[in-house]
Amino acid sequence: MRKKPRFHSLKKLKVRQDWSRWSLYSLSQLKPPNVTARTYFQQKWSAKSDTRAYHGEQIQEKKWKRLFRRNLPAVVPMDHKYLARYDGSEQAAGRGAGADTQEKPRTPPMTPYMQMAYYPIERRLDTAIFRALFASSVRQAKQFCVHGLVKVNGKKMPFPGYMLNPGDMFQVEPSSVMFATGAQKRRSATARKVAKEKAAARAESREKAQASTPPAERETFAAREEPTPQELKKHMQALMEDVENVLNEDVGAKDKQKFRAFRQTVKKAIGLWKTASPETISTLDTQFSFLKDHLASRSAAPQAEPTTSEEPTSLLSPEDQQKLKTAFEKLRLETEHTSAWNKRDASAPYATPWRPRDYMAAFAFIPRYLEVNQNICAAVYLRHPVARPGLAEVPTPFHIETGQLAFNWYLRRR
Amino acid sequence: MPPRLRSSNLSPTVASCPPARPQSISQPARISREFSQSSCRQITLRRRKFYEWLNGPGRALKQPLPNSTNYLGAYDRYGNLVRASPGWQAKRTPKRNQDPDKESGLTEKAENEGEKPEGQESADDLEMAVRRQENAEKEKKKKAKGEEEDRLPPETVEDLRPFPLNKYFRSQPVLSEELREAIYQRVKRDGASVSLASVEFGVSNERVGAVVRLKQMEKEWIAQGKILAIPYSKAVLEMLPTTPRIDPSLPKNKGKRPITHEPINDLIVHPATRQQLFVPVAESRHFTRVDAGKAFDNKLLPADDRIPHPELVQVERELAAGLSFEKRRELAEERLAKEQEKKKKEEERKQAELASLKTVPQRRWDFVFKDVSVDSVGRNGRDPKGVGWRYGFPHEDRKKGQVKIPTKVEA
Repeated sequence: MRKKPRFHSLKKLKVRQDWSRWSLYSLSQLKPPNVTARTYFQQKWSAKSDTRAYHGEQIQEKKWKRLFRRNLPAVVPMDHKYLARYDGSEQAAGRGAGADTQEKPRTPPMTPYMQMAYYPIERRLDTAIFRALFASSVRQAKQFCVHGLVKVNGKKMPFPGYMLNPGDMFQVEPSSVMFATGAQKRRSATARKVAKEKAAARAESREKAQASTPPAERETFAAREEPTPQELKKHMQALMEDVENVLNEDVGAKDKQKFRAFRQTVKKAIGLWKTASPETISTLDTQFSFLKDHLASRSAAPQAEPTTSEEPTSLLSPEDQQKLKTAFEKLRLETEHTSAWNKRDASAPYATPWRPRDYMAAFAFIPRYLEVNQNICAAVYLRHPVARPGLAEVPTPFHIETGQLAFNWYLRRR
Repeated sequence: MPPRLRSSNLSPTVASCPPARPQSISQPARISREFSQSSCRQITLRRRKFYEWLNGPGRALKQPLPNSTNYLGAYDRYGNLVRASPGWQAKRTPKRNQDPDKESGLTEKAENEGEKPEGQESADDLEMAVRRQENAEKEKKKKAKGEEEDRLPPETVEDLRPFPLNKYFRSQPVLSEELREAIYQRVKRDGASVSLASVEFGVSNERVGAVVRLKQMEKEWIAQGKILAIPYSKAVLEMLPTTPRIDPSLPKNKGKRPITHEPINDLIVHPATRQQLFVPVAESRHFTRVDAGKAFDNKLLPADDRIPHPELVQVERELAAGLSFEKRRELAEERLAKEQEKKKKEEERKQAELASLKTVPQRRWDFVFKDVSVDSVGRNGRDPKGVGWRYGFPHEDRKKGQVKIPTKVEA
């Protein structure tokens, strides 16, 4: 028997439906078909073989031939204002007697019907899962179906060839999606070596840093005293600014810089007191109570002295205290959030904390005929893909002429 | 014949792309193998080129760009991001200063273009404009904060092409989380109808329904304490272009319209209209859309009735006819009443159908009894609507080649 050709071959570059670097490379090397030096049959043949290597290569050619439809769906966006104002007779009106206008109407862009040749395949469950970014390749999506990780309308669907109907909701097990789209866990020999080298370098730098820092640190320890009210006030202003920032942010937001900045200022503010040591104020709650107590004592103590009575009392008003408390609460929630949703987990089948796999961004798009909710890894197949002026919804990497040739290959009379 | 002289083991000079010589070529090119006289340069050359590309131009695609899409179409042959100013490139590779003039000029242009999203011709232009505006705003905010971070200019149409060769496909924006939540709240809490929400948010009818369904499920999951794929969702939404939510009720969004996500009045191209027709019509005749539809197919309705939002056309027509506000409201209320009547009737019909079924609950499955008529088999007894075993009409489900994959799953 003939040996099966390689799936990703550098000799015959084929674009496949997956997020691999080979696919990316062959995408970058794709060229429009050579239409001058080859016969029409040759052109059609190679167009067919190239497109079929991408579209539904897991389906037998016979099965695909039965799926093929020569009627391609399309839509035209309509303007309701135009429909209301005109009844269409103005287009049929006579052109004589000066009714002609000089200005040409804007021609709408061409509707690329020929890029839609493979639209029935987009209806398949496995392809839809891949298009919804729940699997890194169609083959993997197929495996998810077969392994019973996919539900359609809440019922298990083990058939990858199930044809989705408009309005069907499909969902994939979130842990499998995270596995499929996450960076791979890897502990190869080279990775181990690299990790060891990095650790050694880090240790060395730490030693160096330790050798240089201790005297400086001792100095700061020595210099640390009870802060003056001016200093305190300045720090409190910075702190409250950060509090505002944090309060504007919602928990789990993309931008974590504000939380980080807040934590920094809190540390700085606490660093003013010499009684504070890193061990006693490691948790957020103790940090908060420490700050509150010390500020309260500072504001209470100098009240007897007439000179500095004004500044300390204005240091921490009750509203400000409340705000500070909510900010701390938010900070706590945020840390809990990250630790709950994206924590280091040795038992997970993907690299933790989770991050997208390499080259995923180059392939990440969701076509309009799907509506996806990534949080629950579920999607709804809204309608069949359509062509519209200037846009075809079937994601195909090939030139329009290739699509045309492939469509013509399957059009032939049999 | 004497053995052929082996060529020296010099590595051949390969024309490499300027920005980066590959760091890791897996192995030096082997000119020949011990067991064979023929060269195997071809294979290694290909592999070398592959790695050269991967470590050169392809390197930028490995990781997602922060706050931007990262598609192949946005790069040129040498792996330079086309839309980025030279300063950005320089900053990304080594630390270097960039010229602020060009950057500010770009943002200025983007701002001017994004001023009026509703003035654009097609919905696609509109969405581009909206994205531009959004990014420009973000940029302004950053500038105001005085951060010394130079940002990428917003994407153009070319930058959103994951497949550079296919000019007719691009990555279109998806709904952002806030917009989904807003749609859900509008439908579930405020009780707006699907078509109303669709018009308000510029999202098609089906998508509104899907968003509500998915959001509902998400809330159920949260209530049950199931684990959501939050990191995945965040990462994916950051990689994709998204349609932001603009809440016109907020003071900062005064005078802005909510962004249209997609065209909502899509007319499906009817197969009967695919052919070209030449119909001679008298010049004196008032030949309208309805007549044109009849010419193609007797049952073909005009576009006004076939679009998803015919009520918009109706409203516009009343407006053009110059009806007073009270009159228009009266008409609208009439229409609403009619619609509700229809809905009620449908609901009643469904209830009656359910009531006619007799259900006997069992341990795992329920028995459902339904009245049938023997006459449903038709005259020749071969109608597929007929029930039960019929003589001479065998079941084919055990035959070879019968597909057992279900064709639909009840929701």
